Amino acid sequence: MSSSGTFLSPIQRIRIWYALLLVVCAVFIIRLFYLQVIRHDYYQKTALSSQLKEYQIPPERGVIEAHNGDSTVPIVLNEKLYTLYADPVYVKDTKVAAEKLMGAIGGEVGKYQTALETKNTRYVILAKKLSKLQSEQVAKLDLKGIGTREVPYRTYPQGSLAAQVLGFVNDEGEGKYGIEQALDSKLKGTPGQIRAITDAAGVPLAANEDNINVEPKSGERVVLTLDIGMQKQLEDLLKAGLKRVNSESGGALILEAKTGAIKAMANYPTFNPAEFYKVEDGNRFTNGTVSSPLEVGSIMKPLTAAAALDLGVVHKDQTYYDPSQYKIDDAIVSNIEEDGGAGTRSVRDILQLSLNTGATWLLMQMGGGEINQQARERWHTYMVGHFLLGKQTGVEQGYEASGLIPDPNDGFGLNISYANTSFGQGMTATPLQMGAALASVVNGGTYYKPHLIEKTISSDGKENKDYQKIVREHVVNKEVSKTIKEMMEYTIEKNSMLYGFKRSYPSYSIGGKTGTAEVAKPEGGYRSDVFNGMFMGFVGGNEPQYVIVVRVDTPKISGYAGSEAAAPLFVDLTGMLINNFGVNPRS
Amino acid sequence: MERQAPRRPLRAGSRGRDSSTRKHKPDYILVLLSVLLLVVGLIVVYAISPGLSAQKGVGENYFVTKQLTAIGLGLVAFTAAAFFPYNKWRSFQRPLLILAILATLIALITPVSPEYPAHRWIRFGGLSLQSVEIVKMALLIGMAAFLEERIRLRQMHSTVYTLRPLVVMLGVVGVIIAILQRDFGSTAVIVAMTAAMAFVAGLPLMRVAQVGAVILVALMILILPFSYRRDRISTFMNPERDCQDSGYQACQALIAVGSGGLFGIGLQNSGQAFGYLPEAANDSIFAIVSEKFGFVGASFLVCLFGLFFARIKNIMERAPDNFSRLIVVGILAWMSTQAFINIGAMIGLLPLKGITLPFISYGGTSVVFVLAAVGMVFNISRYTTYTVNEGTDELSTLSSERKVHENRADWRRNRRPYHSDSGRRA
Repeated sequence: MSSSGTFLSPIQRIRIWYALLLVVCAVFIIRLFYLQVIRHDYYQKTALSSQLKEYQIPPERGVIEAHNGDSTVPIVLNEKLYTLYADPVYVKDTKVAAEKLMGAIGGEVGKYQTALETKNTRYVILAKKLSKLQSEQVAKLDLKGIGTREVPYRTYPQGSLAAQVLGFVNDEGEGKYGIEQALDSKLKGTPGQIRAITDAAGVPLAANEDNINVEPKSGERVVLTLDIGMQKQLEDLLKAGLKRVNSESGGALILEAKTGAIKAMANYPTFNPAEFYKVEDGNRFTNGTVSSPLEVGSIMKPLTAAAALDLGVVHKDQTYYDPSQYKIDDAIVSNIEEDGGAGTRSVRDILQLSLNTGATWLLMQMGGGEINQQARERWHTYMVGHFLLGKQTGVEQGYEASGLIPDPNDGFGLNISYANTSFGQGMTATPLQMGAALASVVNGGTYYKPHLIEKTISSDGKENKDYQKIVREHVVNKEVSKTIKEMMEYTIEKNSMLYGFKRSYPSYSIGGKTGTAEVAKPEGGYRSDVFNGMFMGFVGGNEPQYVIVVRVDTPKISGYAGSEAAAPLFVDLTGMLINNFGVNPRS
Repeated sequence: MERQAPRRPLRAGSRGRDSSTRKHKPDYILVLLSVLLLVVGLIVVYAISPGLSAQKGVGENYFVTKQLTAIGLGLVAFTAAAFFPYNKWRSFQRPLLILAILATLIALITPVSPEYPAHRWIRFGGLSLQSVEIVKMALLIGMAAFLEERIRLRQMHSTVYTLRPLVVMLGVVGVIIAILQRDFGSTAVIVAMTAAMAFVAGLPLMRVAQVGAVILVALMILILPFSYRRDRISTFMNPERDCQDSGYQACQALIAVGSGGLFGIGLQNSGQAFGYLPEAANDSIFAIVSEKFGFVGASFLVCLFGLFFARIKNIMERAPDNFSRLIVVGILAWMSTQAFINIGAMIGLLPLKGITLPFISYGGTSVVFVLAAVGMVFNISRYTTYTVNEGTDELSTLSSERKVHENRADWRRNRRPYHSDSGRRA
């Protein structure tokens, strides 16, 4: 019984089979060598790309506080809220899911369903700012593809108070506008870092020498110079004052004359920082007092006078003949407000009557009787070098503007253009720049950096009070300082009725200057129908305590914008300071 | 080859113990290798147990404790298999077969759950058992007995008495295990066992080729209608094409193996075990071993299996009779196929199968039955002959030289136990 299949003995068969097993083992080892040694780099990279995850642990953003009388209270806090999101790919029955969500956290079924049916996306946001409780209720539903994510939010115990000063924090956690932008790096803190080999769910696995774990460092606590009460009253008065004169926008500023600390600053209209995303007009975010330079008009005149007096080219009791108009470079300088015609005027008349011709005369005196290179250069030096116009003050605000002071020797019609600057036209400055400059003129000649920050406190408790700074001394000499202060008091005194003081405050020193500024047309030249009303002044006892700057954009009234629209607001604010905030009376 | 040599009548030795199969010292090296393999598995399970437990939400040493329990049970099974006289195993044929059928039926009617996605498990209380392990054991003993009888009756050439029953048996197993239980891996193990045993028993090579062709056709029939199997095959051809979906496990396994490098990333440093590579402690454990211990460790493990196979092969060659030899053949086929299918899948040489790596994988049923099988080989190792035993079966054409029993008088007189050590053959 011979068969082709039987010629192998069992032992031979066993050995053939065993040899096959050994071959398989050998193949496996060769394959292992290929995968683990030759292609190791590739697989290692692939493994790390999915396993190694780097996380930033967001630090807690610094709290912002402001003064409330003697104490400080938080004006910006943090709160953890929840964003409800979905991966539509995983949501099978959108109607049921939407109904369940409505049942758990309210809202509209239709809206949820529409969002859940979004095509071609793996991430839709269904609701924002859910509370912890709501988030837990969503978790209880156990809906596939729907989850909540913790998101830190800024909260504002004072509502929209000082919104433009504060700014806001956008969804990416970046500070935008105001303090939030200017101090973003301090407020933000240092993120913690985790670098770790993680499991598929992203949970770091313990024990790995490449792991890094750095705790986050909270942002610094910021204490503002703002006084909440003063800020609130200023905002209310500003709103009412603008409404009174049919102005759509404006701003006001109260600054400590002897420190540069900004106690209140606001613009209207403003916004609610808790709902910044609802704002359609981006201009609302802008703190115009800091960011919107304008031709300031006649409030420039006290500075012009101060420069002329400080140069010694005029003295305070000097009189001159005012022709009521000057012809310079083929242009005519005349007065806006009623000037009573040509005649003999004193230096203080220039302020009290707001004489453009007077300001021009002051500039002429700087050039020895005419507007020339010397006059222009001297005046330029004062504007830029003493009053620090044309450059940023460094106030802790986002988007601070520097304004524009024309070059004394470069351009056409230099003389008329410089004559214009002597009464606040043909140049731009922010109300804050003007306020800080006036403060330096009336406080004896020291320019304090206008600032909003009293101190910052780092997470380890270190205080930094290095925000009040003297930028320049001897802006003008003390004598001139006193003279300007008196002249501005005289201006108020004389125009008391006109500016709306129903009763004066005899034991207080109040000085000021109106400005009715022409509004430049974008294509050049000035509009003849509207003016901006400005007022710049101070209030105090023996010495000016607060400097106030008021801006009323294009009020729709019949009189002069400066005296009819801006001055009453100044009067309101002065009264507020005296009545409610303890201005020291004259002793 | 002296093909024409007359066949000798069968001796009683094939059935019982003759003088050549006196009891001697068993093969302790086999046990040592088994222990080594178990320890490697235990270390790896221990290392990844905390992470896996955390994901499963159970105690930190959940996996280790369960594995140790399984090993404890396995030791009982080992002892029973090692000390119950092997020539009596035949009598378990029928009870085991009935048990296997019952277990399979229970598994088939047990509803599936997310944790047990196919009809493969019998569950009582917290324990679960893969019915196919009982089937493998029943078939091992049943087929050894069947083939031994075919040899004894000189029917190995017979289509009617030998080939047909085997093919029918495989057909039934194929339908139940591959189709109803969707357990293609175990089907492959059973096919390999059957093939190896029939081959060593002396199935004519022509028949072997024919059966091979039949199996190939059966494979096609089994694979093509099932989309998940087609997926696995196409995934296997190109695992990196579809890393996110059907190729995910294959891809993650390759990443685990490849990122191990020459020396591995260290026992404590596995990344792939935690959530990336599915079944890290069970079917995918070889990839984790490769990741932790690198090429050195992985090839060492393959060599350990190779040595283990070598010991079994020696016992197989010296088996005292056909029945015991066929048992050992079946066990080697079982262990090697399971190991190769498992490792081959992890290194991208074979498509993925849900099958455990003997000794190493976490999983109670596997460990208990593997240890029982080792016990059986251990038992037989006590009766091996001094030299390669080609004589106890009378099937094949006898080879010219018969050295069997030549020195038997010596070692019997000295009463020194024979160590089945291949080195002595030199």
